[in-house]
Amino acid sequence: MNYVFQFGPIFRHSDELIYGAVRTMELTAASSAIGFVIGLAGALARSFGPIWLKRIVAVYVEIIRNTPLLVQLYFVFFSLPLMGVKLSSDQAAILALSIHLGAYAVEILRAGIQSIPGGQIEAAKSLGLSRRQIIRHVIVVPAARAVYPALTSQFILQLLGTSIVSAIAAEELTAVANNLAMQTFRNFEIYIVIAIIYFILVRACSLLFRLVSLVLFRWKA
Amino acid sequence: MRQSHRRTVLHGAAALVLGLLVTSAMPRAADATTVDDIVSAGKVTIAIDTTTPPYGMIDNDMQPSGFDIELAQLIGKAMGVPVEFVTVTSPGRIPALLTGRADMVVSIFSITAERALQIAFSIPYASQSSVVLAPKSVNIKSAKDLAGLKVGVTRGTGEDGLLTAAAKDIPGIEILRFDDYASISQAMLSGQIDAMGGGDYGDIYLKKSAKGDDFELKYILKTFYFGIGVRKDSPELLQWLNTFIFTLRQDGTLDRLSMKYRKVPLPPLPTF
Repeated sequence: MNYVFQFGPIFRHSDELIYGAVRTMELTAASSAIGFVIGLAGALARSFGPIWLKRIVAVYVEIIRNTPLLVQLYFVFFSLPLMGVKLSSDQAAILALSIHLGAYAVEILRAGIQSIPGGQIEAAKSLGLSRRQIIRHVIVVPAARAVYPALTSQFILQLLGTSIVSAIAAEELTAVANNLAMQTFRNFEIYIVIAIIYFILVRACSLLFRLVSLVLFRWKA
Repeated sequence: MRQSHRRTVLHGAAALVLGLLVTSAMPRAADATTVDDIVSAGKVTIAIDTTTPPYGMIDNDMQPSGFDIELAQLIGKAMGVPVEFVTVTSPGRIPALLTGRADMVVSIFSITAERALQIAFSIPYASQSSVVLAPKSVNIKSAKDLAGLKVGVTRGTGEDGLLTAAAKDIPGIEILRFDDYASISQAMLSGQIDAMGGGDYGDIYLKKSAKGDDFELKYILKTFYFGIGVRKDSPELLQWLNTFIFTLRQDGTLDRLSMKYRKVPLPPLPTF
């Protein structure tokens, strides 16, 4: 082993790495929030909507889940402009990531909804709850709690997935690292450093999700 | 019981991480570093990029071709061994050498002092100007005219350095960095960027598209000289490559390749 590790040239660029980490979190937060809304709407539509809406959601889910994220990014950034929809790198990245996460969130939340036993819904009906109340209190909230771990791990995957958006020139941690790699040529050191940063970000997010679950789901089932 | 199980898992994970770190840190163990090593290995592994026409591209038969590819094949022929190509992107060229994935890089590798801190360069075998390309309808004569425009570059290339420096002096130039030449060409064609930095060969590449005639060369940023990259610890191999390039210059092979792929003769190539 005659490679000499030198981390000095990288730490001189720590402000750029921090900027990259912040951008990664922004992309993750924005696309997770939008993706969750898409997922919730899609899961409700697929569970309670009319048959034509169920079909549309099913087609969306299948198309997105069976194609690579990178291809989706390229499509939004390089192909949509030819149809007159021109999005900036960041907008295209957030849109593609949201649509991507949305498809998985639909399936995760739908699984949660299906896990609610029929007896529970009948009990709610016999107590005189309206359809809207039943969907909200008896189905969606317990369903969300049931699939909360799966949902949050999808958010974590989303965080890690943002690392490929540099392909459409969006700025985030991996893009910053690639820029630094080309300036300092310290590839080993840089990728070790950003791996550690990603690790810390993911651990921090996991902790946050755990705290949120303590607040959201205090009561026992 | 459960505690100890968890501990075993943790130990396993730690060992795995450590193992990965160690193996990634010592990739040089099996490297061929001399001409003799390559001859006895029975093949020479050369890193190329097939997204940099006319130097490296995929031809109609889906085979790599171009100035760099033909030069790489000549190297194999002169050494008497078959060439094994490793495809790399522009940012992957130095790592390909440092990790031992390739014996040498023949891929429009411009000679810079910064890069020479990590790897060693042969004397130049070709040269190329970095230029700014844009649609004819956009009026650009110098860096000042780029203010307010989106300019695409390949991350870490000479154009990136030059245009990033220009953007520091002239506010309003937005630099978008892509991973390869194909992506900036796509971005140019789809109108995601207003101008792009590239080699003057970029013209040839864009010209192939349906809207090809809309683009033109705006101005020259700088002229770069391409060398073959090898690991720093291979002086013997480097000396052979320098000698080989010298002979190719003398017998007119490089001029022939230049006319074949670039359609223009090579300018005088200095030696260091």
